[in-house]
Amino acid sequence: MVSIITGIIGFATAITIVILIRLDHLHVRYGLWWLVVAFVFALLGLFPTFFDGFARHIGISYPPMLALTISLLVLVIKILVMDIERSQNEVRLTRLTQRIALLESDLREALGKPLEPNHAASHGERDDGRNK
Amino acid sequence: MTNRPEQYDTDDSSLSLPHCVIIIPAHNEVKDVGFVIGEIHKHTRLPVVVIDDASTDNTIVVAREAGAMVIPLTVQLGAWGATQAGLRYALKNDYAYAITMDADGQHLAESLRDLLQPIIDKEADVSIGACTKRGSRARKIAWVLIKWASGLKLEDLTSGFRVYDRRAIRRLARWQATLLEYQDVGVLVMLQASGLVIKDVEVRMLPRRHGISKVFHSWMSVFYYMAYTLLLSITKRGIKLDM
Repeated sequence: MVSIITGIIGFATAITIVILIRLDHLHVRYGLWWLVVAFVFALLGLFPTFFDGFARHIGISYPPMLALTISLLVLVIKILVMDIERSQNEVRLTRLTQRIALLESDLREALGKPLEPNHAASHGERDDGRNK
Repeated sequence: MTNRPEQYDTDDSSLSLPHCVIIIPAHNEVKDVGFVIGEIHKHTRLPVVVIDDASTDNTIVVAREAGAMVIPLTVQLGAWGATQAGLRYALKNDYAYAITMDADGQHLAESLRDLLQPIIDKEADVSIGACTKRGSRARKIAWVLIKWASGLKLEDLTSGFRVYDRRAIRRLARWQATLLEYQDVGVLVMLQASGLVIKDVEVRMLPRRHGISKVFHSWMSVFYYMAYTLLLSITKRGIKLDM
């Protein structure tokens, strides 16, 4: 019963990833990773006895615990890698913002244009991703 | 105030198309970019813009000295990111056509006339310089696979030697195109989905003068490219985009 659910989760994940990529919500690069995850789920769902046999062979009396532990480990590593990448992105974003500010100020001075009070919104939109 | 490189007068003896710019993305191509720009100037007076992809060598200096306008990127974006920067420049400065060429000498300026012909004759919105003779057997098998997955009917999927008309430029300048990691299949699928007509033009290409391919430099990178391209092709099959 569990294996059927696992298999369904695998297929559902795969379909969701395909839709997300098609609608430009997810980079293909991350879609590849998630599809591997979906594939593993589907595989476990289709061949439950294979995993149980493997778990017992290496001395684990309750195979689902092994599956859970491995899943958790993979997730922890993934999140850590994501935080590392996010740190790099934050540095890039901050420095690019600083660089643009310096360039804009040089340009305004060269063109003799005054600075508007609400400079951040002066192009009619915000650049920080918020709506208001 | 328009921010354009020096616009040459049209001249019957050289290739010219009004409101057309040549875009060359370049990363560490100090050895070849000067030669490439020089060759272009022998065949045409079209303005040349080099998008410097955060090179660590003297690419910018050499490109400027050869007579091109240089737009320097502060962060390395890769070939497609740099190309898209060039296309956004073309859009912003109201160019009607943009030609993309590689900085490594594989694309020949003498082919520009042939490349532009379908555009001038209004037979296509996008023209691709195709050289199907190059490439190993493995590459040809890969192309067959990719064409099957994506439904693309073109001859040369990876050639960066292209002419884009204004509608193509506008489509490719959008944020959805920024998600792409390579300038080949994803771009072509997007253009086809927008209903644009794409034509192959068979041209001669030279082997790279220096260095190795930036995309296919190792087995891992080839594997990743194939996995990426096949997934992209399959997920985007049959999609239709409004212009």
